[in-house]
Amino acid sequence: MRTKLFTLVPIAAISAVLGLGMLAAQTTAAAEEAKATTQSDPMQFVNGSKTWANTCARCHNMRDPKSLRDDQWRAAIAHMRVRAGLTAEEAKNVLVFLQQSN
Amino acid sequence: MNTTTRCRKYAWSASALALLAMPALAQMHPERIAELEEQLTALTEQLGELKAELDEAKDNGSIETIRKDVEANKVAIRATQSSTAFTEATSVTHLSGYASADYVSVEDGPAAFVANFNPMFHFLYDNKILWEAELEVEVEENGDTNIGLEYTTVDWFLNDNLTLVAGKFLSPIGNFRQNLHPSWINKLPSAPAGFGHDGAAPISEVGLQIRGGNPVGNNGRITYAAYVGNGPKIEGEDGEIHAVEAEGFASDPDDEKVFGGRVAFLPMPNLEFAVSGATGDVAVVENDGADLEGDPKRGYTVFGFDANYRWSNLDLRGEFVSQEVDAAALSVAPENTKWETWYAQAAYRFGGDSNWEGVVRYTDFKSPHADDTQEQLALGVNYLIAPSAMLKFGYESNEGEPGEITDADRWIVQIAFGY
Ligand code: HEC
Repeated sequence: MRTKLFTLVPIAAISAVLGLGMLAAQTTAAAEEAKATTQSDPMQFVNGSKTWANTCARCHNMRDPKSLRDDQWRAAIAHMRVRAGLTAEEAKNVLVFLQQSN
Repeated sequence: MNTTTRCRKYAWSASALALLAMPALAQMHPERIAELEEQLTALTEQLGELKAELDEAKDNGSIETIRKDVEANKVAIRATQSSTAFTEATSVTHLSGYASADYVSVEDGPAAFVANFNPMFHFLYDNKILWEAELEVEVEENGDTNIGLEYTTVDWFLNDNLTLVAGKFLSPIGNFRQNLHPSWINKLPSAPAGFGHDGAAPISEVGLQIRGGNPVGNNGRITYAAYVGNGPKIEGEDGEIHAVEAEGFASDPDDEKVFGGRVAFLPMPNLEFAVSGATGDVAVVENDGADLEGDPKRGYTVFGFDANYRWSNLDLRGEFVSQEVDAAALSVAPENTKWETWYAQAAYRFGGDSNWEGVVRYTDFKSPHADDTQEQLALGVNYLIAPSAMLKFGYESNEGEPGEITDADRWIVQIAFGY
């Protein structure tokens, strides 16, 4: 019974983090919408190129921006956001950079 | 207006003028007639010029050029329409993965070709949720095809810094398994000893994971992952713990979850230090090949440390992982059992833009079973065909229990391609 309790505590902690995450997700969605309206912001390209240069050769050789289409980069960057621990904004900026450089 | 329509218009105006003029001619003043005659002559001349212009245009192909331009414009318009659809559609699917073919020559044994490919699938909805999965498809020694599910996770982007990863995922312990093992990434044709099956480092887990990261200061970053999963299966044999199978099971016969995670700190983008670990209770659930129930629970601990550094053409990596199952006096395999491995690897790309790379890796894997223990020095030379394609020539000098496969040196030539 004691061990069961030990299992329950971390699960409760994870659920709490998830709950907070979901709350935060709503605010993020709003922020994302605001970002979408400033899509042509040239700083996204500049910041994206920096994050790309700093991050994308960390684990493997740098892939050429021209190696994928715009839509393929969307999936690949979502995937790499999870791998590399990028924030939503960093991932968005790298995507803008790649989509404008391919 | 183009030349042809202009021409037609002039011709019509001239003939209309002539027709209208006919009945009126009789009553018309001779001056007026002369004036009209002049106009008619001028119009006829203009018509002739336009015809000539038109013929010339036909001859030098400019009409054809214009027609082609119009076609090209239409295609371009269609292309921009589809590329915005590519950027703006809510869903994206993407197929990628990697493949490799090896030639493995083992000291005092037969050499053989081997082949495998790992297809990878991504389905993204609205930058909110991603499904990622990878299969491992390989030809077995007997010619059968072996298909394994390497991972399948639903990744829900909770907010800027957190993603929930649910399903079967690569173990976040250390760096090799989650980030370096694909053949187009790994700079040597083999995994370091202890990072494969029945090794010291867990391979995968079925459960829930939360991961993310955040920039720190000017150029630094912190990344984190925490998970809960079914944990490994402990196998007993001849009164000892034979192996900790940490390959992600969709069952949990010992009914005890394992908790773990990894925190990495990057003081600058090209330098990373990380600690990782996992803990929980486990029990021997298989003994001498048969299922076993009721063996006592005991502690299970994994500890990992890894460091990675890139400077110019030099790439340095090192990693340590230990995995331990505590003693349990009443168990069929009562003793405390521990696996431990570490490796250090240096890779150097020759010259500025050269496609050649040299690699050295030293690994020291200690298993409680002497026939698994191995010390290895691996040397490699790689030719980079493309950023994600490599031809690797590797040599392993292996030191294990004499007479065991772990003691045999190996040559491996591998071609690997991440697509
Ligand atoms: C933390 C390590 C890591 C970092 C940092 C990283 N990648 Fe990757 N990347 C991987 C791994 C591992 C794979 C192979 C995934 C697999 O086989 O499961 C991969 C695969 C890819 C692929 C192949 C397609 C796909 O989605 O799997 C592309 C393209 C790619 N990475 C681009 C990038 C870009 C662009 C960046 C910078 C934003 C980046 N990577 C940063 C680890 C990383």
